[in-house]
Amino acid sequence: MSITLDQVTKQYQGNPVVNDVSLAVAEGEFFVLLGPSGSGKSTLLRAIAGLTAADHGRITLFGRDVTQVSAREREVGFVFQNYALFRHMTVGENIEFALRVRRVKPAERARRRKELLDLIGLPGMDDRLPTQLSGGQQQRVAVARALAHKPKVLLLDEPFGALDAKIREELRRTIRSVQRELGITTILVTHDQEEAFALGDRLGVMNLGRLLETGRPTELYTRPATRFVATFLGAANLLLRREARSGSDLAPARAEGETDGPLQDRRDQEVVAMLRPEEAELAPDRDALLTAFLGYGHVEELQFTGALERLRIRMGTEGAARSGDSETSAMPPVWIDVSRTQPEQRAFPLASGQRVAVGTRRIHVLPTPLSSFTVCAESRDSAARLMENPWLVDLTIRMQTRLSAQVEPLVADAGASPVVAPAGVAVVTAGPDCPARVRRLLARGVTPVLCLPEDAAPPSRVIVHFAGQVARRSTLAVTASLLRHVPAEAVFLGILPGDSSERTRTAGLRQLLDVRSEAQAGHGLDVRTELRLGERIEELLRELEAQPGQMLILGLPEPGSLPDSFEALLTQSPGWPVLLA
Amino acid sequence: MVGITASSAAEISARPGRRTVASVVIRWAFIGVSLGFLAAVLLAPLAAVFTTALGEGVAAYFRSFADADTGAAIRLTLFTAAIVVPLNTIFGICAAWAIAKFEFRGKAFLMTLIDLPFAVSPIVSGLVYVLLFGAQGWFGSWLLEHNIEVIFALPGIVLATLFVTFPYVARELIPLMEQLGNDEEEAAMTLGASGLMTFLRVTLPKIRWGLIYGVILCNARAMGEFGAVSVVSGHIRGLTTTMPLHIEILYNEYAFVGAFAVASLLTLLAVITLIVKSLMEWQASRASGN
Repeated sequence: MSITLDQVTKQYQGNPVVNDVSLAVAEGEFFVLLGPSGSGKSTLLRAIAGLTAADHGRITLFGRDVTQVSAREREVGFVFQNYALFRHMTVGENIEFALRVRRVKPAERARRRKELLDLIGLPGMDDRLPTQLSGGQQQRVAVARALAHKPKVLLLDEPFGALDAKIREELRRTIRSVQRELGITTILVTHDQEEAFALGDRLGVMNLGRLLETGRPTELYTRPATRFVATFLGAANLLLRREARSGSDLAPARAEGETDGPLQDRRDQEVVAMLRPEEAELAPDRDALLTAFLGYGHVEELQFTGALERLRIRMGTEGAARSGDSETSAMPPVWIDVSRTQPEQRAFPLASGQRVAVGTRRIHVLPTPLSSFTVCAESRDSAARLMENPWLVDLTIRMQTRLSAQVEPLVADAGASPVVAPAGVAVVTAGPDCPARVRRLLARGVTPVLCLPEDAAPPSRVIVHFAGQVARRSTLAVTASLLRHVPAEAVFLGILPGDSSERTRTAGLRQLLDVRSEAQAGHGLDVRTELRLGERIEELLRELEAQPGQMLILGLPEPGSLPDSFEALLTQSPGWPVLLA
Repeated sequence: MVGITASSAAEISARPGRRTVASVVIRWAFIGVSLGFLAAVLLAPLAAVFTTALGEGVAAYFRSFADADTGAAIRLTLFTAAIVVPLNTIFGICAAWAIAKFEFRGKAFLMTLIDLPFAVSPIVSGLVYVLLFGAQGWFGSWLLEHNIEVIFALPGIVLATLFVTFPYVARELIPLMEQLGNDEEEAAMTLGASGLMTFLRVTLPKIRWGLIYGVILCNARAMGEFGAVSVVSGHIRGLTTTMPLHIEILYNEYAFVGAFAVASLLTLLAVITLIVKSLMEWQASRASGN
């Protein structure tokens, strides 16, 4: 591995900008770090170059630990978004700078300069000043300058950001061919997914300081593991799919709604499904579809964009899976974005308002256990208060999922018809009644459950603790899914009895590290570990009370059981969010 | 056109992209007022200085420089500037570097502190030094014991000038450095340049025009400073009078030609400063523009 990052963290004023990022880039690989602005990708790149010091973690270049090494000794080439050419030097002097610094002889410098100018396609431009060049030419010179001292690693920070589309594409080709020719390990940072697909051998998608997923472009596009990657890499319809008795059934992933009242007397399996616009098929009728039928809808918007036609279909309530279901009328509408190629348009021309049957060529189910959030409360008022919690609202928006409410009395009277258990994550108000609520939900097979104080602030630190002996896989999945959507640092906290022997301690630590590596292998999530000695509940309370803005993810020892001793964590005031999984 | 009322003229002139009679009149009115004001307040005194200095002929003008005290005053002024300007250039670069490149506690306070000499009356700055180093001052007795003269001697004049001219270089460089950013320096670092080399090869050439301008302003003020120096100098003729102080002495003795001859030197310095400044700005815009 030529570039290895191990739990690199960078904080600005207490906020993690880069949050426990671990990454390995192979020799000669072109790796693209992709993310929206503010995701920490540029900071991470600067940390690799040594321009920003990492607060925590380790950076290794070709087996050499460079974490404490200054930028000038790291031997990397760095290309800045705004070129950063030395404006008072000519192109030739710019390119020769690194060689001059290394006291290379003039003849050798001139030879190398010519070689590099040929490589980037600007031969004979030696005596120009940077201001006499176009943006694209300046960036070529910057690339040549960064390569002059033959660095082993080339780092490019949004190199095309300031250029217009045509030049961007040309320069992109140049950089790709230069990289292939030299076989130099390269990391490029961009927010443009098209650029990422065009250049990268492998991509890493960052958001909120975390590296969410890495993989080959096609892998990430067709089989993303997270909502963010699904929607950031190209367009995607995220749908909540209920796998109920009557078949599968779609609900909007984005809208808010209330579903109270009986539905079915068993808990539905709810999953998040991704449908790419180009994977949807439109036909006049269900029978004319070549693919799996999804439902009927009406064309609401129609946009011609050249090669493709973009449509927004408002799905009707007459879907096959829904027919005869009394609940449908209460459901908010679902929109599906569809794109069609020219041949498809010609085969079935459409106009706004037209009724169509929608089919799906391919649906990908995201492996996230946090499908949607349902607030469970005894009264409409308390449900409404909880639904207004800014953090919860923010989280559901970030997850692009649904937040709904279900009202039912805490003690169900015998005569009332049993209310269906909510799908996805159940949210209850923290407080004295909280354990009873949680037990009721757990007994009906509902996990995960989030106990949320009504006035809970967004957490900046997440403590993950396993109540049982083993870290269950589902707890890890919930942890990974949540951490990808909160800008907080996280820690696996292990607690052993104060009087435990040396051997138990070693075993406990090893177990903790195993959990860490499992989270990393299974979910690409890197979390720090801490081991404490003492009484379990006391230690957890002390940790949570130590500073505000923390939350706890409590791994249940087995599905549906909450040990009595842990109730104390749910009833404190002022409390903290606890996610039981 | 004569029949246009005031309101309709204003209405017409308010229309964008159209040159109307009203807009032309207004434009020339503004230019005229500004030029007239400048002529009355700035150019007239300037002309007066030279006409009075040359009032008794060119010979009398040059004769006034032959005076031993005048020569001493000119030498003292040059000597003071030669010490103060390099020191303040170094301090200015350091302060500007610290403020523009780093985030630290008390940065706003440091900025305010740099501006202090602008805000404080020069007399007060002079008095502070008398209070510190004068015979009755805090360090007065100690200095007396060690036979060191500060007040009413060259060190006092240098200190007072240093204080008054401190902001010029820093003030010129801070916005420039903030605007130019840190990218070139960072690029130099990734290319393997040391801190000193980065400064000499990258930063200094980058800020040179602003720096030179700051130095020129600093120099002009150092040579022209009156208030603070007046307090600490003691007006010992031929020993502690700088050019501005000497002008005052001559003027009070009704030696108008001599006074205005020396004054014309300072005025020339100001004119040269302004010309160099315009050249700098032209150079800087040529260097950064396409």
